[in-house]
Amino acid sequence: MVNEPDMLASIDATLAEIPDPELPCSIIDLGLVEHVEIDSDGHVHIVLLPTFTGCPALDMIADNVTREVTAIDGVASCRVKWVFTPPWSPDRINERGRASLKEHGVTVPTCGGGTPGPQEVQLRTSAVPCPWCDSRETRLESPFGPTRCRSIHYCDTCQNTFEDMKQLPSDPA
Amino acid sequence: MTAMQDMLNDPVANFALSIADDLLMLGHVQGDWTGIGPILEEDIASSSMSQDDLSHALMLFEHLGNRFGLDADVIAYERSPEDYRCCDLVTVPDEFDWAVALTRRWFVAHWAAPALERLGTSDDDELNERCRRLRSEQGLHLSYLDDWMRRLGAGEGHDRMQAAMTSLAPQACMLFELPTGLDDEDHRSRRDEIFEAWSRATTAVLTDAGFSVDLTMPSEEHIGGRRGAHAKHFVEQHTEMNEVRCEDPGASW
Repeated sequence: MVNEPDMLASIDATLAEIPDPELPCSIIDLGLVEHVEIDSDGHVHIVLLPTFTGCPALDMIADNVTREVTAIDGVASCRVKWVFTPPWSPDRINERGRASLKEHGVTVPTCGGGTPGPQEVQLRTSAVPCPWCDSRETRLESPFGPTRCRSIHYCDTCQNTFEDMKQLPSDPA
Repeated sequence: MTAMQDMLNDPVANFALSIADDLLMLGHVQGDWTGIGPILEEDIASSSMSQDDLSHALMLFEHLGNRFGLDADVIAYERSPEDYRCCDLVTVPDEFDWAVALTRRWFVAHWAAPALERLGTSDDDELNERCRRLRSEQGLHLSYLDDWMRRLGAGEGHDRMQAAMTSLAPQACMLFELPTGLDDEDHRSRRDEIFEAWSRATTAVLTDAGFSVDLTMPSEEHIGGRRGAHAKHFVEQHTEMNEVRCEDPGASW
């Protein structure tokens, strides 16, 4: 028999140390971890939510999670599954994740910013506060940034570019 | 009967394949622009949309794979050309003319959105869930491409864009050829609904942008890619896409 609360705490602590390969925060801070389950024989099942379906980091994240969690004392095996319900949304990024992203020039829409419903991915086109100088004199430069989940913006005040996390529909109808 | 034949005899699978094959081949063909897009932002945008298209195709192949007991890659790569359900528009050569590449993708994106909405009303919740997700991501392509159409319509590129539209329009209409196995009243009326949505959405943008294109439903006699009668350029792209797989089956990197 495994001590479930202790093991869950160890798994949480481990996941909190696994970074997203393309963003300066952990997969916990980014809100990718939806569910963790342990059976009585120590087999762990982890459900993760992808940001975008075309994200090339998904395999790497799953491999890292499997490797690190399997190394925890008492874990017999670890299985990772990606699901699309509930959909990931920037609303799931916690305060620590938001602070770290801002520090690296990536802004995040405030929680509940998206309208519910089965609508399209949304972009903030103007007035996104600049993470460098807090000016709102900013504009969308390109909806396609360095990764699938980010758009590129430009600040007219400090003349720097920055990135914004795209808003995904928060409610799948 | 093999699992592959089961899949190819299934109406919903054929409809799903028509979307997935369009996105697979379009993502592959448009990938030729990666690294040489007109400006850096466009290069990244085009490559990002290709990346999306390929992953969206994969999402549908995975669903079909789970349903029929097949590997998604086997569905993507190991069918004979006549078993692909894509429209020939997606592989029409662009000769590195950006106007053709952009217009081709614009026509397809406007078909994929209502087609995914329709496919997402199946009696399979898992498939519907995937379609909803793909629809929301494809929506970003739509607004982006519509914006370009309007900008190019108003600028010096107008005539080049108009020429690309005129040359692609007949193939674009073949997006609405009913795929093999879907030749019944129910699917015909669904197809008509998708055509209406496509026609409404594309015409609105064309009017704004000052383009004039004749978009009509293809005649039944015209047999094309959705019924497996592919143009030479599809076969060439299919051969190129499968080159590594044929050379080294099961290769991974």
